[in-house]
This record gives sequence, C-alpha cells and structure tokens, in this order.
Amino acid sequence: MPLDTSTTYPLTRLRLDGRRWNELRLLQAQISTNPASSGSSYLSMGNTAIMCSVHGPAEGRRGEASGAAGSAGAIVEVDVNVAGFASVDRKRKAGGSDKQSSRIATTLRSAFQSHLHTYLYPHSTISIHVSVLSADGSLLAAAINACTLALVDAGIPMPGLLTGCTSGMSGSASTPRDPRNDELDPLLDLSLPEEQELPFLTVGTTTSVPVGENSMENDEEEETKVAVLNMDSKLHCTYIETMLAVGMDGCHQIRELLEGVIKGSSRR
Amino acid sequence: MKSLRRDLSSDPQASNVTSKVFVRSTKSGKVQKIVRELYLRQDIPCSSKLCSLCPSIAPSDANGNVAPFVLSDRPAGTKAFPRGHYLVPDTNALLNGMDLFEHTGAFYDVIILQTVLEELRNQSLPLYNRLLSLIKTDEKRFYLFFNEFRLETHVRRGPDESINDRNDRAVRAVASWYEEHLQVSAKKGKKEKSVPAIVVITDDKGSIRKAKAENVTALSLSDYVSGLEDSDKLLDMIGEAREARDTKGPAGQLFYPEYMSMSKLMTGLRAGNLHQGVYNVSPYNYLEASVKVPAFNKPLLILGRDNSNRAISGDVVVIEVLPQDQWKSPSTKIVDEEAVTRNDNPDSEDTEAVVSQNERKALQEEVKRAHGNSSEGKPQPTAKVVGMIKRGWRQYVGNVDSNSTGSQAASGRRQQTVFVLPMDKKVPKIRLRTRQAGDLLGQRILVTIDSWERDSRYPSGHFIRSLGELETKGAETEALLLEYDVQYKPFPKSVLDCLPAEGHDWKVPASKEDKGWNGRRDLRDLLICSIDPPGCQDIDDALHARSLPNGNFEVGVHIADVSHFVKPNNPMDLEASVRGSTVYLVDKRIDMLPHLLGTDLCSLKPYVERYAFSVIWEVTPNAEIVSSDFTKSVIRSREAFSYEQAQLRIDDPSQKDELTESMRHLLHFSKILRQRRYDAGALNLASPEVRIEASDEVGDPLTDVKTKAMLATNSLVEEFMLLANITVASKIFNSFSQTALLRRHATPPPQNFEDLINQLSKKRGMELDVSSSGALASSLDRCVDPKNPFFNTLVRILATRCMTSAEYFCAGAHAEPEFRHYGLASPIYTHFTSPIRRYADLLVHRQLASAIGYEGEDGHAVIEGVHTRGKLEDICRNINYRHRNAQFAGRASIEYYVGQALKARGEKMAAGGTDTGIDEEGYVMRVFENGVVVFVPRFGIEGVVRLEDFVLPGESGSFSVSERRELAVHRTTHFNPEEYTLRVEEKGHPEKERGVDVELFQRVKVNVSSVKEEGRGAGKRRVRILITG
Repeated sequence: MPLDTSTTYPLTRLRLDGRRWNELRLLQAQISTNPASSGSSYLSMGNTAIMCSVHGPAEGRRGEASGAAGSAGAIVEVDVNVAGFASVDRKRKAGGSDKQSSRIATTLRSAFQSHLHTYLYPHSTISIHVSVLSADGSLLAAAINACTLALVDAGIPMPGLLTGCTSGMSGSASTPRDPRNDELDPLLDLSLPEEQELPFLTVGTTTSVPVGENSMENDEEEETKVAVLNMDSKLHCTYIETMLAVGMDGCHQIRELLEGVIKGSSRR
Repeated sequence: MKSLRRDLSSDPQASNVTSKVFVRSTKSGKVQKIVRELYLRQDIPCSSKLCSLCPSIAPSDANGNVAPFVLSDRPAGTKAFPRGHYLVPDTNALLNGMDLFEHTGAFYDVIILQTVLEELRNQSLPLYNRLLSLIKTDEKRFYLFFNEFRLETHVRRGPDESINDRNDRAVRAVASWYEEHLQVSAKKGKKEKSVPAIVVITDDKGSIRKAKAENVTALSLSDYVSGLEDSDKLLDMIGEAREARDTKGPAGQLFYPEYMSMSKLMTGLRAGNLHQGVYNVSPYNYLEASVKVPAFNKPLLILGRDNSNRAISGDVVVIEVLPQDQWKSPSTKIVDEEAVTRNDNPDSEDTEAVVSQNERKALQEEVKRAHGNSSEGKPQPTAKVVGMIKRGWRQYVGNVDSNSTGSQAASGRRQQTVFVLPMDKKVPKIRLRTRQAGDLLGQRILVTIDSWERDSRYPSGHFIRSLGELETKGAETEALLLEYDVQYKPFPKSVLDCLPAEGHDWKVPASKEDKGWNGRRDLRDLLICSIDPPGCQDIDDALHARSLPNGNFEVGVHIADVSHFVKPNNPMDLEASVRGSTVYLVDKRIDMLPHLLGTDLCSLKPYVERYAFSVIWEVTPNAEIVSSDFTKSVIRSREAFSYEQAQLRIDDPSQKDELTESMRHLLHFSKILRQRRYDAGALNLASPEVRIEASDEVGDPLTDVKTKAMLATNSLVEEFMLLANITVASKIFNSFSQTALLRRHATPPPQNFEDLINQLSKKRGMELDVSSSGALASSLDRCVDPKNPFFNTLVRILATRCMTSAEYFCAGAHAEPEFRHYGLASPIYTHFTSPIRRYADLLVHRQLASAIGYEGEDGHAVIEGVHTRGKLEDICRNINYRHRNAQFAGRASIEYYVGQALKARGEKMAAGGTDTGIDEEGYVMRVFENGVVVFVPRFGIEGVVRLEDFVLPGESGSFSVSERRELAVHRTTHFNPEEYTLRVEEKGHPEKERGVDVELFQRVKVNVSSVKEEGRGAGKRRVRILITG
C-alpha cells in the first residue's frame, strides 16, 4: 500500500501525487471533438477523463414539449454514463445508470437548467451526454467543466463560464475546529485516493458577465456566483468556509484555463 | 475526427507529470492495477541547514508557514567521516536496526526517503509507526525526503528491474544527488570544507557493490556501527538479521509445520473449518494454552509445542480443531518451562527435537491420564495452530539465563548465543546473540523478538537495553512499568506548556465578573469536606449534606473540575488519553496529569477555593431521591479527613458541630443506599488485596503489609460515588444516545462458574445459584464455614475470577439492555468521580458539561463533549487496556514489595542464626496432580506449592532450596481429580502417617519465606511456601 495523506501531508506538505495544497492537476481540454454533434468537448483533469457532447437545442420529443415547463424555455436533459472500464475494477453492468451517475446527472441538469439562457429556445430540448472514460476523483467538477465547454461549442448562450472544482480538508475534520488553533489544511482538486480518505465538497462558480475582451475595463468588479455546491461527506460546519474559499479559487483558475482552450480553438 | 490522445508536448508543465503504476491484490483475491499521477517538482528542499539554495524555494503551506530545516549544519561524524555525515538508510537497515535508530547515543541527521517509508509500511506496520514518531521528534533530526516527487531523484523502473532493485537504485540516486547538491550550495556559500558525507546504510550486499561502482558511500549496518563508540553495545541491538540466517543456510532441520497461506486461512475461516482467536498460555503450564473462539462456548485447548506452532501468548492465531480422539481435559499438572528445559543449549540447534525428551514425557503422562478416565473426565476439544494473523510481540523484560552462557562468559568480546528468560512466564525463552554476555548476567534487560523460524526451537531476538541490576529498586520498578506498558516518561515540554501560566499561584478569580465564573454556581458557603485514604494528595471528590426547610435533605457530591484545565485535543489531553489512568505502585505514583494539576490546582484541597463539578440531590429522610441537579461550581472544602479521622469524629458524641452532623447524615443515607443496592442484587466481591503503608521506621517491614480494613466511612464515600456515577450516566445517555461514554459489566456466562459450583458441591455440599446477580449474592452469603471464617472470602475471590471484567464502551456500541453493570446491579453506569486519575471520567465531565449546556469561559465548552463514535471507540479500547494494566502493575508492585520485605526479614533472621520464614495460615485454592496453589491472606499472595515443598511428617523443614529440589524425585502422589484431593508421600513409604493429604479449600499451615529464585523469576524473589501441616 502506498502512504496516505493524513500521515504524510503534515510531515512534508506534499500530497500523494506530489502536489502542494493549492495546485490543480494537469488540465487538458479540446472542443469540437465530435463534429456529428452540435457541440462537444474532451476534458481531462489528471487521470479523470470525460467526453461530452451536446445535441440541440432541438424540437422536443413528442409529448414532452407540450408540458408546461417546455413552453417557458428549453429543457435541459443530461445523461451520464460511467464507462465500465473507467475505474480500477471493471463493472460488469455497463450502460445501466447507477446511483453515482444519476446523482451527477441530476446535479448537472439543475445547474445548467438555471444557468443557460433557456428562455431563448421555447419548446425545445438541449440534451447533454457525458461519458466518463476514466474516473480518478473530482468527477462532478470535471463533468461540469466538460459540459460548459461542449455548450460553448454548441453556441448556446450563457452568462459566463460555469466551472467546477473540489476542495477537501485534511486533519480530523469530523471534530469541531479548535478555536485556539487557526491552522487548517485545505486541499484543492482531489484525486480519488484523497476523496476516499478526506471529506470534500464540489463547488461550481460562474461570472455574471462574460469575461471577454469587451469587459476588460470592469474586470475588478467581476462578480462570482456560486451555482453548484455539493457535499456527500460528513464534516464539522466550522471548516466549510475555508474549503469554500479554496474551492472558489480553484474554479477561478479553471475558468482561465477553459477560456484559453476556447480562444485557442477559435484561432485555429 | 480529432485525436483525443493526451498531447504532452504542447504543455511545458506536462513534461513533469509521470505516472506510477502498481498492482495490488484485494482480500477477495482480485488483482487490481492502480495508476496514479506523479507531479515531479523541484521545490522539495534538502532540509540541510548548510544549504544556501533551498531556503529560497522552500514552499509554504496553506497558513503561510515554511517547515523548518531539520538536518544539522554540524552533523556528528566518525573516524571514517571526520566532516560529519548524513545517513540514508534503506528499508532493510531499518527493519533490522530500528532500535539502533531510536538509540539516543548515535544516529542523528538521518534522511528517510519516501521510497523507504513506503516499503517499510508494507513490511511492518509497527516499525513504520515507530519511524513516523521518530521523524516527528525534533531531537533526532530525522528528515522525511519525498524523493519520488523531486525531478532529479525520481527513478523509473527499468523493464527487467525488480521492484527491490529499483528501490535500491532510488536510494543511491538520492545519495548522489544530495552529495552534488550540497557541494554546489556549499560552493555558493563558501563553506566547502564542511560538507558532510552522505552515507547509505544498507544490508544488501549487491547494493553496496553497485554503490561502489556509482561512487556512492555505502556501508552495511554492522560495518557502520563498528565505527562508532560503544560499538559492542550497539551491535547487539541489530536485529537477528536475515544475513545471519543466510550464512547458516538451509542445513537446519525444520521443527515446526509451515503456516497456511493467507488465502487458504481466509477460505477456511469463512467456511468455518478454521477459527481465529487470541492465543492465551496457561499460567500454570507453559505447554498448555487456550484460544477462545465464538464457535465454541468453552475455550479450545492447545497442548504441546507441536500444536502451538511458534505462537506466543498474545498472538492472534488461526486454529484447526483436532479430531475427537485427540481431545483431552485440561492439565492438572504444574509444568514450568525452566524445570523441564533447564539444560537446553542455546547454540546447538541440530541435536534437539522440537519436543525434547523431558517434554515428551510430561505430555505422555497427560495423554495417558486423559484417556484413562475419559469416561467421566470430560475431554475438551483441542486444536492446533495453523496460521498467524497478527503477532502480539512486544518488548519483553527478562534476564540472561546464567546456565546458558559459556564458561568463558566474562572474558572476551566474542559473540555468543544465550537464552533470555522473560519475566512473563507465558513467554518462551528468547535466543539472543550478544557480545556482552558477561556484562548482562545479573541485569534486568529489555529484549525484543525478531523472528521465530521453522528451524528454531525458540524465538530469536535482540537486546535493546539494560534496566539495571536485578533486584535493585529502580530496575525492578522500571521493569514492571515496561512489562505492563505504563507510560512513565516525564511529561514532555509541549504538555507542560498547557498548564496555567500562574503555576501554583493559580487562584479562583476573586471577582465574579471574571469569565472563569461564567455558568458557575457559588457553593463556597456550603460545609463541604473530603474523606480519603491517609496521605492522599489527589483529592477527586468532596461531599456535603444539609437539611432543607421542607424536612428533606440536600446532598452534594463535588468532583474536581479537571475539564476546566485540560482542553480537548491539546498536547496535555492527548498525553492523558494515551496514559489513560494514573498507576499506583507501592512507592511510586505514575500520574496521568502533570503534578501541578493533579495534586494542587484540581485537587479539592481544604481551606482553599477550587473549581468543581457538582451533583446535588434532594433526598427525603428515607434517602428517596426527589430531584437531582448538575452544575459547575466553586467550592471551599472545610476539611480533608482520612477514613479513620472521619470515623472517629462521627463516633465521638461530644462533637456536635455542623460539619460532623452533616457527616452523620451522609453516613445514615449511605447505609440506606447500600442496603437498597444489596436488595437489588449487587454483589459483594472480594479480591485478595493488601495495602502497604510505607513507614520510614526501620522496623520489621512486614508490619507495613496490611489487609485492607473496611470502615463505615469507606462505604460512605463509595455509596455516594456510585450514586453520582449512576445519576450522571443516565443524564449523559439521555443527551448522547450514541456517544455517551458508559461502563458495563457483562453478565458472566453460567459455564464460567461450572468448576466452582462443582467444587463447592463436592467438597462442602454448598450450592451456588448463578441465575442472576441477586441469586448469586444470596447464595454467596450462605457459603459460610463456621469453623473457618475466611472460607467465605475465599469463595468470593474464586467467584470473582469466574466473571468477566467491566469495560468502558460508548453507548452506540451495545443495545440498551446490555448496559447493565452486573456487579453493581445497576442498569446503567459510568465513571465520573475521579477525573484526576482516570481519563474516562474526564471525558464524561465534558459530556455532562455539554449536556447541561454549560458554555465555559469562551463559549466553546458545549462542543467539547461532542465526539464521533469511531473516535470514542478507539479511546474506549485504549482506556480499557490501560485500566487493566494499571491494576496488574499495582498488584505486581505489591507482590514485589512483599517479596522484598520477606527477604529483608529473612536476611535479618539469617544474621541471627537461621532463616525460618514465617508461619502463617493458607488456603488451598486449586489442586494439581503434582502440587497445589495456596493463598495466604495475610500477604495477599498465592503461590504454587510443588512436591518438594510439602514437609512430610517426621522431617525437618529447614532444607535449603537446592536440597529440597532433590526431594521431588523421591516423592509420589495420589491425585483424585473428582474429590480434589492430593496425597503426597515418600516413594516406598505408603504408611498413612508418613504422607500428607491436602484437599481443596482446606486450611493449611504454611511457612512463608523468600528464596532467591533461579532462572526466570530471578530477582523476583519467589515467595516459597512450605506446607507444614
């Protein structure tokens, strides 16, 4: 067995994969990977790799469009598929949606349903397909980022890039924070072994105004909104604030990376 | 379609990312391939204070702190390395020599590599933990260098390279990088002269050879140690290395069967063919052990060396039940290891069989007997050890067997093999290779077991350190503390830093506005007093009682408010949770909390104001409880009484003051409470305890040995403490239904009492009803022998031994009906009243404070009591273990003291003429085929009386030990296991008047003296008991 974070991190301030506390994993992304779809992307954060394709906005299927919700704007459909070969143990039952993937799908749907300017496309459906090729932690965050890229590629209007990131807390985070000791050890962008060991949350933020060339002047006033916040682990409430701050900082870094990807691809 | 392959060339960062691939197998036998990323970096500092480059790149953590540099700029050197050196050990060096690395005399400035740490963790978890704690201490200057993450020192495994070779190469790569790095930085800092050498320590010969080729300094552990001062002592501390085994080759014959493979064990356990349990050696017979497994209601017996297959008491083993025709009843014979294997030679391995002739004879008789009367003697299932889950090896205290040292022991530094006899009788001899056998003779030494190979009859170990001469007070006390794993080192500075800065001048704040008074009730005007044993310094509890206008009474128990001073998770709290309990030895107290708190600031001393945690009841004159209330308070105790003083004052009719009156009320209530408790079925148990009242007078030390007297005031205090504990237990359980810390005493299974019931009905025609605690209590009351007043106590002692011991647990761990405290007949119980000396009580204090919404000085007290269940269960496990050990240590200390007192007396008598010992009364507790166990109430000791120690009629009792040993051969016995009788007589003299008959429960006259025991007990002064009639 390799070492674990809780013993070695306090000694060396290095994480299991050699990162410091505030470093992201290597993030690489491409858009327009699948010309057959309206928009598509491929994104990898460390060993987590996700492919995403967007179809639509298109006319909704029969019966659905007549619903009350459909008349107000487009409906976002999300389908998440974790490949059988994505994790260490190969899953026998591929294709079927398990609890993890349906939870990610629900979170993504509600996030993008409210994030996108859906009112522009009444009576239509935007369907997003997320395929997880390889899972190594921060799955939800990576999926958010991949979806954002694919949606941008599809040309669906949104107020700003929605980016996601995880942050965790090392140390004994289940007991209340010691008020006399201010030292906390938050970690950014967790990998799978870290997720299994430490409590963590996923945060997704967006900016209200596109951070394009046009908005260069009021960059300072750029307003960040938390659009997604998801936590499955148990943690004492005194730590949340720090973790949230670290996670939002991570989202900001990722936003800059994604912008680079988008700009780079248009130049080509 | 674009290619989705990762394009590493475009990103400049990406070249520093590599991945680590390894394969692991899961418990279910699956093989998993794990891929992990590695981010290689250049900002991992070398941590040498010499370095001028690294401080600028050393990164900070989330709080902006930079880790201080560890390695000294002037490291120690040896003759070979005059400019000092940094050591880089590889995994094998640590495996074989961890004790050396922990030694305070050498091994400073050590660089521990991530590679090595990881490999060590896979090989041995205990060693890994020891290494981690070494890294954490500042004094030894151990630096953990994450070489796998540093770009320059990362090593990729070659295509045909084994993982070991790769790791060795990584170690060498680090060494050469360090060398170069220090050179460069020294050049820059103009300190070229003082660059220390980097020395790789490895026990792998191949690695040393390759190091030479790569121009890296590498030494084997023993070569390095030979260059140090004190090398002889240090060399002994190297583990019984594999190297030594290798030289011997596979010539040795294999004595023991091989253990089954792990997967086979797992399958067997799951199928129920095999069982897992803790191996427990019988205290009377070293060849017999028992393992309790859930599948059988009686423990399984393991007889003989073959079946025990290298298991040592305390190991977790897997056993296989033997066929029914090999089942036996438990031994009725006392077998001592040193008596049987006295003449084994530590060096000769080839000539001996696993089961030596003598042992075989001893076993043979057993089998014969077992088969002979198998018709009525119920044979028990027996088993053999087939696998080892976890070794329970620890460090053992012992002494070198003088018989095993060579004739030229004292001379020369030649390495020789000797036997070490551990103090613990259940542990076999340990074979030890040493160069200082002569010096070690007559010393108490600490050793550890390294291995027990199949071709070796005894486990082999290595020497750690000497505690001092046998029978000196210091050495024996330390031995005792080590043997019972008591933490006795002085409190480290980090703990002492947690004490209030005012020290002994700390006072309860005068102004009530002070935050110390937040939520505290002022109880200073109450007439509170404490009653404790004489000379008690750590006063945990104080009491008061006063009448209320409505005719009822207010009774209060006030407990020292330790939780005010010990805040959760600070170093003092952590230290206390590890210690778990204060340990009381005859002449020494090992405190759980620093002296300042225990005996002053927390202690409810008289005449001064102290913080307390109070439980206050309103009771009717008939001691019915109307209401109860809990509060933090400030009290001022009026007087600290000893039990005797309090008793005298209560009994003195001329004392009419209020304080005395309130004590009388308390006494009155306590009697009612006590009676009510007994009516509910509480047990009055007995333990063979004596108390030592050390007096400075140079009189007969034996007069200090007193059996514990029970005064009415003792039970006064006891009753109210029980009441407080019970009241608090239900309060915290109401507030924390999952995490309340409680104490339970499980109802013992009836089969535990089978033997005792049998013995009582056979010998005395008495019955023991064990259907409930109440029934047991009343049937124990009926077990009275009018001619023998002690008989009842004896039965109580034996009954107590049939029970399970009480334990701490957290409420979520058991269903509510299981909370019952059997002995106290209370449905719920906890410990609240002694927070100075027990950690459990401290936790309960925090829980109670948070249950009553006490906020404390800074408003954080409410959350202090909150724990997660998992953490609490860990704490429970530790405090249960410490509690038990503290009791054992206390008893062992008394036993040692009694032995020493007898010795002192014996020496005085010998000076005056003859050593005749002391004539006392004893009671037979157990009858074996070749001896009996006798309990002597006067000294609270029990001893084995062997054949030679029976004084037959017509024989004088003053034979020396060695002369008496000869006698055993000439004696023969008639043992009747059905009637529990034993007749000892001279061979060939069956005349009735020449023999001695003893039976169970019989009162016998004994002669107690202390004799210097040879072999195992050396220095312990076996108390010899002669039965004189």
